[in-house]
Amino acid sequence: MARDPKHDVLFQPIKIGPKTLRNRFYQVPHCIGAGSDRPGFQAAHRSIKAEGGWAGINTEYCSIHPESDDTHRLSARIWDEGDVRNLRAMTDYIHKYNSLAGVELWYGGSHAPCMESRATPRGPSQYASEFETLTYCKEMDFDDIAMVQQYYVDAALRSRDAGFDIVYVYGAHSYLPLQFLSPYYNKRKDKYGGSLENRARFWLETLEQVRRAVGHDCAIATRFAVDTLYGDAGVEVENDGIKFVGLADSLVDLWDVDVGDIAEWGEDAGPSRFYQQGHQVPWTRFIKQVSKKPVLGVGRFTDPEKMTEIVTKGIADIIGAARPSISDPWLPKKIEEGRYDDIRVCIGCNVCISRWEIGGPPMICTQNATAGEEYRRGWHPEKFPKKTSDDSILVVGAGPSGSECARVLMERGYTVHLYDTAAKIGGHLNQVTTLPGLGEWSYHRDYRELQIAKLVKKNKQSQVMLGQKPMTADDALAYGAEKIVIATGSSWNSDGTNCLSHDPLPGADASRADQLTPEQVMDGKKPIGKRVMILNADTYFMAPSLAEKLAMAGHEVTLVTGVHLANYMHFTLEYPNMMRRLHELHIKEIHNAFASSIEPGRAQIYDVFGDGSKRIFKGVGKIPRTPNASHRWMEFDSLVLVTGRHSNDSLHRELKARNGEWHKNGVRDVYLIGDAEAPRLIADATFTGQRLAREIEESKAQFPLPYRREVAVWGTSHMPGAEFDLEYKI
Amino acid sequence: MKILVAVKQVAALDEDFVIGADGRDVDAEFLIRDLNEWDDFSLEEAVRIKEAAADPVEVVVVSIGPEEADEVLRKCLAKGADRAVRIWDEAVAGSDPIAIARILAAVARQEAPDMLLAGVQSSDHGFASTGIATAGFLGWPHGAVVASLAYTSGEKSAVFRRELEGGLLHQVTIQCPAVLTIQAGINTPRYASLRSIKQAAAKPIDVRNLADVGISAHEVGEQGSLSHVRRMYIPDKGHAQLIEGSAAEQAKRLAGIIRAFKGEA
Repeated sequence: MARDPKHDVLFQPIKIGPKTLRNRFYQVPHCIGAGSDRPGFQAAHRSIKAEGGWAGINTEYCSIHPESDDTHRLSARIWDEGDVRNLRAMTDYIHKYNSLAGVELWYGGSHAPCMESRATPRGPSQYASEFETLTYCKEMDFDDIAMVQQYYVDAALRSRDAGFDIVYVYGAHSYLPLQFLSPYYNKRKDKYGGSLENRARFWLETLEQVRRAVGHDCAIATRFAVDTLYGDAGVEVENDGIKFVGLADSLVDLWDVDVGDIAEWGEDAGPSRFYQQGHQVPWTRFIKQVSKKPVLGVGRFTDPEKMTEIVTKGIADIIGAARPSISDPWLPKKIEEGRYDDIRVCIGCNVCISRWEIGGPPMICTQNATAGEEYRRGWHPEKFPKKTSDDSILVVGAGPSGSECARVLMERGYTVHLYDTAAKIGGHLNQVTTLPGLGEWSYHRDYRELQIAKLVKKNKQSQVMLGQKPMTADDALAYGAEKIVIATGSSWNSDGTNCLSHDPLPGADASRADQLTPEQVMDGKKPIGKRVMILNADTYFMAPSLAEKLAMAGHEVTLVTGVHLANYMHFTLEYPNMMRRLHELHIKEIHNAFASSIEPGRAQIYDVFGDGSKRIFKGVGKIPRTPNASHRWMEFDSLVLVTGRHSNDSLHRELKARNGEWHKNGVRDVYLIGDAEAPRLIADATFTGQRLAREIEESKAQFPLPYRREVAVWGTSHMPGAEFDLEYKI
Repeated sequence: MKILVAVKQVAALDEDFVIGADGRDVDAEFLIRDLNEWDDFSLEEAVRIKEAAADPVEVVVVSIGPEEADEVLRKCLAKGADRAVRIWDEAVAGSDPIAIARILAAVARQEAPDMLLAGVQSSDHGFASTGIATAGFLGWPHGAVVASLAYTSGEKSAVFRRELEGGLLHQVTIQCPAVLTIQAGINTPRYASLRSIKQAAAKPIDVRNLADVGISAHEVGEQGSLSHVRRMYIPDKGHAQLIEGSAAEQAKRLAGIIRAFKGEA
């Protein structure tokens, strides 16, 4: 199928300084957990996007000097020749596909805690970071300013040597250049503070110096938060925003614009729960009106119609994308070939971002299970090894893991029967996506549903069997499959079992009329009273989502939470607006409290830290603290138990117990994946499906093959030619 | 006791397609072939009668088509049919539903079933006449658009309900042998297990030619058909046009268009 000619505009080359982007698809800088220390991961993840049609591909933020050290989080670094050598792998592989490689030169100021380097970050004024609250910077004098500007120049020269085509001066997300520009940080009274011209001076001088150093060889880009979203306390687009663009326009070849700051950068990387595609346009649209240079903007663009509109309406020249490029590294290629149906649409869950926020473990993606696995496991998102046996495979359960496993097995050429009691592929996602703001998560199901429908047409022996009776072990053994994959998911506990007591909660019983599991709430069939208590021991979205849903329906909701409410939503950047929602809806929150027992219409609540602070040895059978005396009764009309989950693994257990019958039934092996193995993130459940499908011919395929590790190697030094052995300065 | 189920391998359009060189059908390269949706329901109905019977019941599926139609016959065998018969001869190509019915009737005379089930229609050409025409050739009673069926193996008659306009149902008693065309939704067709698919792959298919069923070549194909497809094409899309100007100008323009449409201009 050919692409729609109206999308041709997205495939027109565009010149940026001395370089040319071959089309309008551009992967803006985003973290993946590779940096400069995992060059294989960096090279493979980025170059697969070059293969998939992205014309420009960047590193994550790349530190220019040990004074900008973001440990515990993971940035790239271009501090020395060792880093140049490692980053060269990325640029070499990107260039194989005629794409341009960019580097985002970064100096964090007090937002970089320097926990590895123990250096002192410098800033325009001294302040404590609102992002890293234990970190203060030193206020720069003129010597400091000159030094730090030289860091940028030196890093730019190293970048050019590493093969980068685009060199950024990074001033979004409240990093150093913006700290000078914004009166929120800059309190100086000298020529670098006060008026806009003075506040802009640091950034303009730095651009000038970097341009002079590498501007003939590289395109100079700057990433600019055109509005920090705090009114005149920071940068406002219609005021300092467009004025700064006017001042700097002659110094840049490419504007990369967004909004927001670092402490709430979910206003930029907006989760789909709160923000739709193109949510930054009301702010970023101003830039094209004042700039003569190419402009690119982000906003989780996944739809070619919207992208075309952005370009043809003159809002931006280039479509910037981070998350959509992770979810589908071949997005441009699929648009180019008119394969619109095959686009694996980003669901905006921000689980990719969560890993950076946690502190830099390798990035994962809910939609694209191969993200981060390109180098270490050799997984390509669009290409699969052909099957190596004629075994046919029964997959029981069509949720995230089962449907992913079936899809990849079918891609490999296996005959697969995918079986589920539900009438639709998707498993628990079909309920979760009915929660407020989570509609776009349905794209996870839709992608697999559509791909499987196409694959079944290619192999008539394969089939999707929905709306079936629950499969028994007898059924499974007699089914005629050589391999059986159990992906039967998990359920919320109906007896209150939780991560605090690791036992059922006395009196908790969701078969009672006044108690409900989350599934029962989402199902909507069981009556719910006016006063609802949500008892929470889960640290992700279920409790706040149910609270929001029920409060919107007019219930008076009290959240009693024994664990940090919605803690994981800090990492997905959903936390600030989720809390705002709870407050708008007048949901009562009782933190650090849990229930010890339930009776009809009431729960006995206690403070988690209500026992004594002194720990004293008192002998066997005695708790070494003063007993908790904070217990009190709270009434409810309905109680929702968000206390924990358990795997639905009875079919697998029974099949394992009957392994003596496998051989005579022609069954070679039985596997357990997804939540049925252990409840987990949708991303991780999806991964287990992909992983098993790729490794199913291994002798113990239930357990993952080792992956290639990228670690420092004893016997060689990071710096070319340097000494590696122990050396003391004594 | 025997039930004969007539099935068809239908063609569905792939994402892209082109009309073939003769302008009378889609180029075969762009077709995806599968068991006709309605036939899945009639096969299921037959298999359920068999499973409910006290005495042995044989379910025989028959299809008229080239070798590639074996694929749908094997699918039926995997879903519970006992035996599969395929009739083919190059002369059959180009047959209309009446010519196909003539062959099916010949097979029915050979097999002598107690009941012949067919789908209401095929999803590709949708004539909805093959089953009924077969009854005509056989001189058997028939019921069309059957939405529920009560038939016990060995009984001389069956009771069925058929869908009428306006949500009405017709409840009918019919003498056997009879031809019933089965409506989609009458039951929930089963899926074949991997084991039964593998077993079906090893079962023979009884292939017969026209001579085997006592039909001569001139009774089938283009010669033996009463209707002929002349052309298959994608109609031109309509063009909307906004008529502008004053009310009088618009009225004048509209009248002109109407006259042109009537051939008066």
